[in-house]
Amino acid sequence: MIITKKAIPRRTVLRGVGATLALPLLDGMVPAATALAKTAAKSPLRFGTVYVPNGIIMERWTPLAEGREFELPPSLKALEPFRDRLLVVSGLDNTGARSRSGASGAHAKPAGAFLTGIEPLPTTGSSSLQLGISMDQILANEVGQDTPLPSLELGLEGADTVNGVGTCDVGFSCAYQNRLAWAGPSTPLPVETNPRVVFDRLFGNVDSTDPAVRAARLRRQGSILDSVLEKVDRLQGGLGTRDRAKLDEYLQSVREIERRIQNAESQGRELPVVESPAGIPVSYDEHARLMFDMQALAFQTDTTRVITFQIGREQSGATYPQIGVSDSHHPISHHGGDRNKIESLAKINAYHVSLFAYFLERLASMPDGDDGTVLDNVVTLYGSAISEGNSHDVRNLPLLLAGGGGGRIASGRHVKYPDETQRLTNLQLTLLNTLGVPIDKFGDSTGERLTELSELSRTTDG
Amino acid sequence: MVRRTLVILAVSALAAAGQLQLRAEPAPGANLARGNVVSLPQFAAAAEANAADGRALLDRYCVACHNERTRTADLTLDSMDLSQVGDAAAAWEHVVRRLRAGEMPPAGRPRPDVETAHAFVSWLETELDRAALAAPDPGRSAVHRLNRVEYANAVRDLFGLEIDANALLPADDEHHGFDNIAEVLSVSPTLIDRYLAAAQRISQLVVGDAALRPVAHTYPVHGGMNQDGAVSLDLPLGSRGGVAIEHHFPVAGEYIIRVSLRKQEYGYVRGMGQPHLMDVRLDGARVGTFTVGREWEDGQLPPMGYAGKFDQVYDSRSFPEWELYALNADRGLDVRVPVSGGRHRVGVAFERQSALPEGLLPLPADRSTYSHGQDEMQDGNPAVSVVQIIGPYDPDGTADLATRDALFTCAPAGADAAAGRACAETILSGLARRAFRRPATGADVDTLLDFYEMGRAEGGFQSGIQAAVERLLVDPEFLFRIEADPAGAAPGTAYRISDIELASRLSFFLWSSIPDDELLGLAERGELSDPGVLDGQVRRMLADPRSRALVENFAGQWLQLRKLRNAAPDTATYTAFDENLREAMWQETELFLEGQLRDDRPLLDMLRADHTFVNERLARHYGIPDVHGVHFRRVDYPDESRGGLLGHASILTITSYANRTSPVVRGVWLLENFLGTPPSPPPPDVPSLPTAGEDGAPRSVRERLEQHRANAVCATCHNVIDPLGFALESFDAIGRWRATNEGGTPYDTGIPIDASGTLVDGTEVHGLAGLRDVILDREEQFVETVAEKMLTYALGRTLEHYDMPVVRQISRESAADDITWSSLVSGIVKSTPFLMRRAES
Repeated sequence: MIITKKAIPRRTVLRGVGATLALPLLDGMVPAATALAKTAAKSPLRFGTVYVPNGIIMERWTPLAEGREFELPPSLKALEPFRDRLLVVSGLDNTGARSRSGASGAHAKPAGAFLTGIEPLPTTGSSSLQLGISMDQILANEVGQDTPLPSLELGLEGADTVNGVGTCDVGFSCAYQNRLAWAGPSTPLPVETNPRVVFDRLFGNVDSTDPAVRAARLRRQGSILDSVLEKVDRLQGGLGTRDRAKLDEYLQSVREIERRIQNAESQGRELPVVESPAGIPVSYDEHARLMFDMQALAFQTDTTRVITFQIGREQSGATYPQIGVSDSHHPISHHGGDRNKIESLAKINAYHVSLFAYFLERLASMPDGDDGTVLDNVVTLYGSAISEGNSHDVRNLPLLLAGGGGGRIASGRHVKYPDETQRLTNLQLTLLNTLGVPIDKFGDSTGERLTELSELSRTTDG
Repeated sequence: MVRRTLVILAVSALAAAGQLQLRAEPAPGANLARGNVVSLPQFAAAAEANAADGRALLDRYCVACHNERTRTADLTLDSMDLSQVGDAAAAWEHVVRRLRAGEMPPAGRPRPDVETAHAFVSWLETELDRAALAAPDPGRSAVHRLNRVEYANAVRDLFGLEIDANALLPADDEHHGFDNIAEVLSVSPTLIDRYLAAAQRISQLVVGDAALRPVAHTYPVHGGMNQDGAVSLDLPLGSRGGVAIEHHFPVAGEYIIRVSLRKQEYGYVRGMGQPHLMDVRLDGARVGTFTVGREWEDGQLPPMGYAGKFDQVYDSRSFPEWELYALNADRGLDVRVPVSGGRHRVGVAFERQSALPEGLLPLPADRSTYSHGQDEMQDGNPAVSVVQIIGPYDPDGTADLATRDALFTCAPAGADAAAGRACAETILSGLARRAFRRPATGADVDTLLDFYEMGRAEGGFQSGIQAAVERLLVDPEFLFRIEADPAGAAPGTAYRISDIELASRLSFFLWSSIPDDELLGLAERGELSDPGVLDGQVRRMLADPRSRALVENFAGQWLQLRKLRNAAPDTATYTAFDENLREAMWQETELFLEGQLRDDRPLLDMLRADHTFVNERLARHYGIPDVHGVHFRRVDYPDESRGGLLGHASILTITSYANRTSPVVRGVWLLENFLGTPPSPPPPDVPSLPTAGEDGAPRSVRERLEQHRANAVCATCHNVIDPLGFALESFDAIGRWRATNEGGTPYDTGIPIDASGTLVDGTEVHGLAGLRDVILDREEQFVETVAEKMLTYALGRTLEHYDMPVVRQISRESAADDITWSSLVSGIVKSTPFLMRRAES
């Protein structure tokens, strides 16, 4: 293998505004010794999730026609340039969110179930977090070993941003609404909102991209982790089971980081010389685009193949004055049939989709493999855990898949399942299989595969 | 005393009604009032009698639903034994809570009168307390990860270094409103990654690593911060706008201070129609002066409302010189200065022009409009939008640095390796003791010395210490508070925690940080658990400035004040809201609470205080005359329209929607935080109500809620919630006094405000003063609620049913001491769950 040590001879400045984002992401900036390069014949498949909160105005979302000859409704209009890369999937139910515990949790449940297919339980004396592993983490466990970061969990709203964590369903941990990705039943993964921090995670916490400095840094971190692992072993002896479990969580996390460092060391990645963004931009629009830029960059450099991105946390109360909606998102989602509120919601829906379209545009501009683009080798699940926000309806979810999926997704279509016949988890099981995870069960899936969505049906579907 | 009277009233009412006869004859009401010590024989007699009456009450009102057969809410009140409440304490505590909340029996079902229910609940509580006293359970707290506030404070106390933890570590999850609850402070690879990065960064900062490369730190100024007047006491007198920043310069060297100005949406700098003088200062001394904006000749300036037409022709004119200038006016506003390492204040401000009118200019009508966004405001004031501090350039790693001087308690006595190692050993063992909150062991020091040697080989003594500090900061014993059962503790039994563990519990409770030398020393010598010593330490720690953590972290989270940071009042409806006001609201409540704590006021003063703290901006908001300037001062309210916390704009704002008030949100907030009886969540699929404007639709929020309560399902809770919220209706969604409905659409009806409500028990409440009296009447409930919240915070765990008797005990005992803050804190510190732990079973 030939590792080119040549970095792009200019400092590329990420300024944060879409238009001035001077990161051309030339083919030459792709790190030379990544898994991507190793598998030059076939580009890796990446999976993203883009989540929008509070449901969708479905009349403006669902295409009228099924099959290939459908027209994009108003809320999806911005995706027109990528029509042949879209697979709009209608009629799936978020059955995992259905209440078996009897507790309320109108937002906690759908959001918690969205990527896990499991009903989140309310807090009890002994435990406040009871869910399960999410589909992105199942995938990360399978394919994450090949990349420096197994997965990235990002969002626009965190405790640090303007709309921050706010209300949560009474009796439920906020984690169900603030996080999408779960490494295990009680391990929600934190959501990063600061593009600067994302940048550091992508390219390492080094002020310098000098390979020697970087190597020394990795060695130091490796020794620290070795030493810490030893100590945890010693500590665990005198502890009770619950405390041991907590330290075990720490131990596993340390091991995971150690593995990544070993990976990074063995790969000797050549990094593009990119300046880190300053922080969270004041403007929502800039923030959103910058976070999409980071995701595009992560996929392009094959730093990770799994990303979950929350445009908003469930029950978000964001306001969108930039598009003329100064009411708070969650209250107006309970529109009660009010025409003005429905109008405002549809505006928000379309606005979020337009930001997503920007992401697809970035991906489509990035060469990948022999003659394709990153968009060809991505599957992105875009949608909400709730359809009609007014009644917290979890049936007939607004969902679409974007990206070519390495040719394994039969896109350019609208597929609609009859009411209350098909589950979101069956789609997710199918996707996991398509992405190379050979499992038969996920969340509350029935085990049925939606094969008509994948390449298997491509020939028959025409 | 109010509550005594209430109970007596309750009891005599009961006696009259003949439902709950008092068989034994203690002092009137003594068996129901928790404040009294009752001798056991008397008590038993009374309890026996009341168990039978309690059974009658349950049979009459409750068991139709809560029985062995239907098991509604999993409660079998028909078979549970009232003479042995300790056998089902969890279920009975649940009953207590639902009855106190007034939620049961549900609306439409027969209910006992309020006095009867109250007497029953009081009796039940007394029984539960008695059972708990016989077999106390201190609970078992889990291994506790430091949250990011604690992490930052620990770093501050270890190294004298203020770090921005928000930039270094991810936010922690909250539970029960607090972010220090052990069960939810989880660990993930991401977090470890961040800890590693933070440890590297902090260790470099502490030793002033000369290898640091230039990094840009960005300090944005919120676009909603009005800069037409003075903004900070840290800026020169007579200045206008700008920003004052406390920045840690990691090492002596040259730094660039770069200023950007506020622009309209197309990038034209605002306020460029005339020249303005702008100063850049370092620790108050001017290091740069710029003139921004300039004089223009006739015809060069575009008309008002030009809104950036770029190179287009406007009214057959064009303005090329203006275009060029206004688009580039803030280029090169850089000052490059040598700065010594450590904390310094950077200030940027404009000179106030005497030709312009003094004071604050009116705010634009609606800052969210398109035309506002496009306006270049040529005749207005320029404003700072971002200050960047970039550096170090040419760092000098040998110059003095406060953090390093404090850390390096010795210097290597000679150049040989052994001398360096001896000194490193001294430094590192001291550091390990403080960081691990216990005496350092040989193994601790050996581990750190390994890293010292590794670093020393790369870059000498300083690099050695840096490497050891980096290792220390990711150590599990630094990152976690670990308590271990003592050898030989019988499974499931309660034992007293060690003095060393107690020191940490104390310091994390009162300071959100690690113990200091004195506290740790007492613990190491085994003296801390001595009641006199413990008492003295609590008093010392409360008097220490670090106890401000209680205001910021306990009070801030209990009252949900942190939500103010994210509150987003609609600027179209509330044009008066800007960042200056948000900042002032925040300051008011913090100053007020800190004053209460420092003066050790009774908790009830939070409600009754007739004073507050305001600056000019907030005083104008409240209609308080004759307050000038940006600094805060104590003022007395002129009348009863405001008083205590309930009148704080901060709290009134966080309990409102963006464009209107919400009596429901305010009511729930009061029930949850002041009365301790949060309502159950609403049932799913609540039917929609007609909106204003439609036929028969309500004209106000009040009318709307009245329609709502007509629905029996809604009424059970909303009869309790809404009246409390109505009492605060005289304050709009940003806490301004108002006489008419003037919220956003569709509630902008101009109809007069009615700030009254009727509680479930028939009590009329009117306005803030009335609401205050209602809560004061429920003093006991209020104090218990604060005690419950504070105990949750102090223990950092979810409270269980067996903690409730402790909560009641703490609030009872604080009554002897006028229910001051210190009596509450010391009650918690002396409580069973704080001093003890249950061994693993």
